[in-house]
Amino acid sequence: MRRASLFIPLFVLSIVPATAQAPKIGDPPEALNMRLVGMNDLQARSAYQPTIHRQGDRYIAYIGHHGGTPEVPKPINALTGQAEFNGTSIVDVTDPAHPKYLFHLPGQPGNFEAGGAQMTRVCDGKTLPKGDPSAVYLLRTFGGQGHEIWNVADPSHPVLVSRPAWDLKDTHKSFWECDTGIAYLVSGARDWRVRRMTQVYDLSDPAHPVKIRDFGLVGQEPGETGAVPTELHGMISLGPQANRVYFGYGTNKGGVLQIVDREKLLKGPKEPTPDNLRAPVVGELRMMPFYGAHTVFPMLQMPVSDFAKDKVGKTRDFVMIVDEQILNECEEPQQFVWFADITVESQPMVVSHFKVPEASGHFCDRGGRFGAHSSNESMAPVFYKKVAFVTYFNAGVRAIDVRDPYAPKEIGYFIPSITEQTDKRCMKVDGKDRCKVAIQSNNVETDDRGYIYVVDRANTGMHILELTGEARKAAGLP
Amino acid sequence: MFRRSIIVAAIGSALAVATATASWIADQGHSQLKLAPRWAEIAWPFPMDEWGTGKAYRCAAADCGHEVEVYLRGKLGFCNCTTGVADDAELDRLSDFDLLGGRAKPLSEGRPVRVAWMAGRSRAFALPGLLSRKAMMSVAFSNECDALVATAVFEQDAAPSAEPQVLAFLNSVAVERWAKAELGR
Repeated sequence: MRRASLFIPLFVLSIVPATAQAPKIGDPPEALNMRLVGMNDLQARSAYQPTIHRQGDRYIAYIGHHGGTPEVPKPINALTGQAEFNGTSIVDVTDPAHPKYLFHLPGQPGNFEAGGAQMTRVCDGKTLPKGDPSAVYLLRTFGGQGHEIWNVADPSHPVLVSRPAWDLKDTHKSFWECDTGIAYLVSGARDWRVRRMTQVYDLSDPAHPVKIRDFGLVGQEPGETGAVPTELHGMISLGPQANRVYFGYGTNKGGVLQIVDREKLLKGPKEPTPDNLRAPVVGELRMMPFYGAHTVFPMLQMPVSDFAKDKVGKTRDFVMIVDEQILNECEEPQQFVWFADITVESQPMVVSHFKVPEASGHFCDRGGRFGAHSSNESMAPVFYKKVAFVTYFNAGVRAIDVRDPYAPKEIGYFIPSITEQTDKRCMKVDGKDRCKVAIQSNNVETDDRGYIYVVDRANTGMHILELTGEARKAAGLP
Repeated sequence: MFRRSIIVAAIGSALAVATATASWIADQGHSQLKLAPRWAEIAWPFPMDEWGTGKAYRCAAADCGHEVEVYLRGKLGFCNCTTGVADDAELDRLSDFDLLGGRAKPLSEGRPVRVAWMAGRSRAFALPGLLSRKAMMSVAFSNECDALVATAVFEQDAAPSAEPQVLAFLNSVAVERWAKAELGR
């Protein structure tokens, strides 16, 4: 009898995952085949894009931030003791176990997405065709107001170089080709019908930006009426050799993957007429409207082992499409990761998907957002076309074996622990706020050494990770 | 004779005035009916899209003087959190043109409106093709980052009376109850 009464509670414990309860301060991280190497709290600022750049023998992380919160609109910069609007954190991650916070560059005043400086891209002056060889350039957004270029050759003392585009309705996830200087800026031109479209600039000489053209989906251009096509989220260019730029429209719904001929985009007629907007488009994938396209990450010329004996189509071109979850606690369709086979560019097709099972962590009950958000964008050989990393908000970061994009599989994950700095996420229930505290892994990037940098939207900071076990083997790491 | 003619004329005038008065009173009565339209909920008449299904209401011609349909949907997290529905660009971006084929031309500049505790904007549009006799009125209003969008459809020549009827309906208890449920308030 005594043995039986002991057995029942143990049995119950064994079938209820530890993750079923809301996370608490002091809980260990949840992990599979990923290990924490180091962390920095980023001064408790809500984080968006991390860019890791090798500068000489140092590795510097540039992390873009959203605006603050009504409770803390200007967190304290611990280096100076000053309260500063969120902007860009600059962190030396040469020793990933001991990241060193170097500088905070304030951004636009305002809370949440109305302020801050979310986006970062970095190019060396010696790589840009007309850059100062001694300079390192940080291209960043300044809230929704515009785009700035700073010289961060000395990352502890950034110097403003230029403001290529200003007085905009919004900005977001821009892209900069370091070898040509062509930049695709996510902007909100005042006369366009959407908050986010593309402004193409020649930033080969960052001190003297030259605008090339405006671009977007037909119907977004000035003078059009009726339905407004879903707005741009971001793009990735493969540069002049591949001659393709991949645009993702829609965030959490109405997703569109657009494949564009780079040469025609840059050199074609620039007036934003419907014909001129259509001219450089090679192919489009209109997704089921429940899903958006936050990050569109190209992976071309991949041999698919299962097709090795096929006479045609042994190697395929893919784009990994990552949606963004917007609403807290599963108040909208769950957003996933999709793999589109774009080998026939005019007719791309989704061939597989990746998702985190909700029941594996009872994530809808944990608080905050649960669903996909963004992937790493580094094309360094260490992970490219082998392992992709996708942030999943309260489900942390997930490592996906993408060697066969027809059958992607999870090989690891890491859900950081919450801390005293982790901010609450609230829902209205019967007219009152009901708040929970949960990790909100927002963006992820990798470096060429194989470290993974995950940053948190709910102010928990940056976690630097590495793969272990089977996941490490999949990447071919020793 | 002359006196008799005067009496007949006076009676005739009195009858004419009485008839006109009766007609005016009848008109006023009809107007009173227009001011108290009855809105009946109907099935959502559109296929599923990214915003899901909403609420649909119809006011019959007998009740409103012309048929009016109103479609309501929440677009949570889709509004400009800072400025709300501040201009026609934001109103157009939020509007449910796709429910009615996607094409519409504005008939005028939009104007600010209030719906319950929320501020928003309203604008009338002409619809093309088979719907060319119809007008569409789009009303978007917001609570922080969440938008609520009403799309009304009626005959173009009914616009002067339909627009205030729609706004009155949007400020009704039924719509406020729906808005609060949609917003979790």
